[in-house]
Amino acid sequence: MKGVSRRKFLIGTGWVAAGATVIYHIAQRATAVAPTFIFPDEQSGLAWIQLAPDGRCRFYFPRMDMGQNANTGLMQIIAEELNLEPEAIEGIVANTSEVPPFAVTAGSMSLTAFSRPVAVAAASLRELLRARAANQWAIPVRSVLDHPGGFRADPGFEVSYKALISREARPLTLESPNEAAHLYTFDQSREKRHVGHPAKPLFLREMVTGQPLYAADVRLDSMLYGRAVRPPVNNAEIESVSLGDLRSVPGFVQIVREENFIGVVCKTPRAVERAISMITVKWALKQPITSEEIARLVDVDDALSKGSLEHQLLSNNPDREADWAVDLRFDVQIQSHAAQEPRAAIARFNDKEASHRLEIWTGTQDPFAMRRFASMHTGLNEDDIVIYPHRMGGGFGGREHYEVEQDAVRFAAAVRQPVKVQWARQDEFKAARNRPASTHRIRLGVDAEGDLKDWWHAYISGHVVLARDRLPGWLLPVSRLRDDFGVTKGGKPVYVSERSLVEYSDVDLPVDLGVWRSLNGAPAIFAIESAMDELAITLGVDSVDYRIAQMQDAQPRLKRCLERVREMSAATPLPQGLSVGRGFASGIYDGRCFVAVSADVLIDRENESIKVLRMCCAQDVGMAVNPDQLAAQIESNMAWSVGMALLEELEVGEDDILSSNFDNYSIARMSDMPVVESAIIDQPTIPPAGAGEVALIAGPGAIANAIRRATGFRALKLPIAYSDVIQQDSRDD
Amino acid sequence: MRLKVNGKERSVDGSWQDETLLDVLREQFGLIGTRYSCGIGQCGACTVHVDGEPVNSCLLPVGLAEDKKILTIEGLQAADGSLHPLQNAWIEAAAPQCGFCQSGQIMRALSLLQNNSEPSDSDIDEAMDGNLCRCGSYPRIKQAIRSAAESMQGSPS
Repeated sequence: MKGVSRRKFLIGTGWVAAGATVIYHIAQRATAVAPTFIFPDEQSGLAWIQLAPDGRCRFYFPRMDMGQNANTGLMQIIAEELNLEPEAIEGIVANTSEVPPFAVTAGSMSLTAFSRPVAVAAASLRELLRARAANQWAIPVRSVLDHPGGFRADPGFEVSYKALISREARPLTLESPNEAAHLYTFDQSREKRHVGHPAKPLFLREMVTGQPLYAADVRLDSMLYGRAVRPPVNNAEIESVSLGDLRSVPGFVQIVREENFIGVVCKTPRAVERAISMITVKWALKQPITSEEIARLVDVDDALSKGSLEHQLLSNNPDREADWAVDLRFDVQIQSHAAQEPRAAIARFNDKEASHRLEIWTGTQDPFAMRRFASMHTGLNEDDIVIYPHRMGGGFGGREHYEVEQDAVRFAAAVRQPVKVQWARQDEFKAARNRPASTHRIRLGVDAEGDLKDWWHAYISGHVVLARDRLPGWLLPVSRLRDDFGVTKGGKPVYVSERSLVEYSDVDLPVDLGVWRSLNGAPAIFAIESAMDELAITLGVDSVDYRIAQMQDAQPRLKRCLERVREMSAATPLPQGLSVGRGFASGIYDGRCFVAVSADVLIDRENESIKVLRMCCAQDVGMAVNPDQLAAQIESNMAWSVGMALLEELEVGEDDILSSNFDNYSIARMSDMPVVESAIIDQPTIPPAGAGEVALIAGPGAIANAIRRATGFRALKLPIAYSDVIQQDSRDD
Repeated sequence: MRLKVNGKERSVDGSWQDETLLDVLREQFGLIGTRYSCGIGQCGACTVHVDGEPVNSCLLPVGLAEDKKILTIEGLQAADGSLHPLQNAWIEAAAPQCGFCQSGQIMRALSLLQNNSEPSDSDIDEAMDGNLCRCGSYPRIKQAIRSAAESMQGSPS
């Protein structure tokens, strides 16, 4: 990458004068438009960790935090390798001028991809200093033993990192990792002191005392407020605009109009609100936005009646005319991220400071993409732009587009003053890159013994990672010839059949689409696990036993999760005499994360509601770096499972996004929340896999299956309404 | 116009007197711990206490808070900087995930415990149902409220 010098980052992070710093040259440059895909290698971590002369460790976070608290786990790894207490490590949210570019925070990849580079860097630093201690004591390196915050040796030698570093006049640099450095994180030879133990998330105190953490918390001198009129979909074009008397609004400063963009800048937030309400925009759409149109586009049965689908994930001697024991169609709704924080960004142009011509404060999953996009947008060099990334109030895959930042840059450029843009909640719903609608036709055939013989899963989903405007228009058609790895998530069954066919088509929908928690994992596995449950009922067998049997000799980790969750759920019997049921579901996310969930559900006739009483979850994501935060992610995924199964649906119609706020888009509330019991199956010899979106793949299926057990009602459409359940309650009526 | 915020008198600039209490707190006074999330009183992220009652500050014109006692999350710590039992309980339970809603959650929980020192689970559900948490930190919020209720027993809140 041009212009990235070691010196630049040394200066940026203030460690030129003293201290041991390990840095390296980055060799990769991300492509122009896509999210930043620079997956870390063994060297990458060297840029993120420093030891200061006072013995403190500085950790420049390579991940953006949005509640998953991945940096907490990475910090535990540093503590493990450097024999430090976590309190001795200072975590820093770096701006883009302080660290080399790192990858977009997405895909539950943080611990999977970053744990090793972080461990290598910390261990290399430790070994560098160990050699120095050996030199100082004139003893062999192997005689220098680990000691908290430093080293010791017999008889009675002790030295701290601080003492080893402070004697240096110049900073130490390490051009490459020490390949021989022993990694305590991944080795079983030493009992772990930090990894594998529960650790409190970083910034807890700041979060409970209301300290500034998020982009909107930033205030700058002479700052104005701006907001644009957001289109219902990103590719809409302005057809006409009618304006009220904006100048009559006290505090009105300026209207800003560009191609397909109109917004206002004012002196206060309320003035913005008033001015925006005086602007009426008629948008020209490329496709009508109606629920009927969306249903038509994802209608799998209609597509199958015309032939095969576009892509095949599995095609093993399929038989389309088999005798089907189960033949069901499942319809999955569109969902919004609805993060608690509506996006905000502040932009400021500086004519005097060359390296800070443009500064942007924002919460983003991908700060280096923001810098790239801002460069393309303004024509400034990337080196002249600084992004100050902030903690996000929830991300869930929805915070990687250059949008609120672009609004802020447009306004700040127009008024030559800093401008804060705070999206309203309705802007969030309009701009969301939603989880697409999908429909699934699943047909399962069995042999005389009841074992799976034929598997046919056909589905149509809106695009996910290849949704429009996630790639440039010229690149999309070519990319779409290949699999959309968001749409394929969850498509391959864990069950073994003699013949199998998994086929899918991905389509453009009238609403904006993109990456949402678990991608297609939750929709596909909801459908598969519902169908498998129905098959077990048809065969009159225990559904957990049946699932395990149909995995044959494969999937030992998933089987263990299922067995575990069966035990956990059995510990609390279902209440007697009520309309209650217990359902199970399980699955594998991304080939590396294993999960099983049970749900106990009550059909509450008095309150006319479906109440999830209790959910148990057993999860195996390899090494459990921070068991408490793994449990927190399970709890979060169970809340989302309730939302997906029972509550959430993005409403569209009249060529607009009708869901605009939490009064017409329901998410789980405290009273919707079941009791959650979680079990983390630790695999200390398997590198950690992500956990942010794993349990959501099994939760909705478990709830649907519990409703089936309680009432006989098989949910074929999400979200499940109480009225649907009652109308078709075959057991009680 | 003057407001009494966290025990201090503060004056509202003339050009800010038509704003919401939330925007005045955040943008004028820099008390950014109270957060904007829905703007229509549907999520509770902006909960503050006005004369001891929890209100959605995103809905309240600042003029209606004039001369009233306003308590925000920043006013919860004691003068010596020690945390309120609710804040300690929140940390102990590691309740926050993204953290964005938590100021409002804590302020609502404070109101609950001021009125009911031994809330049942359903009391907690009822009191907290207007405070949304997209991360789903509810089980830990509930646990934190229970443990704060215990530690606040007998001590003035």
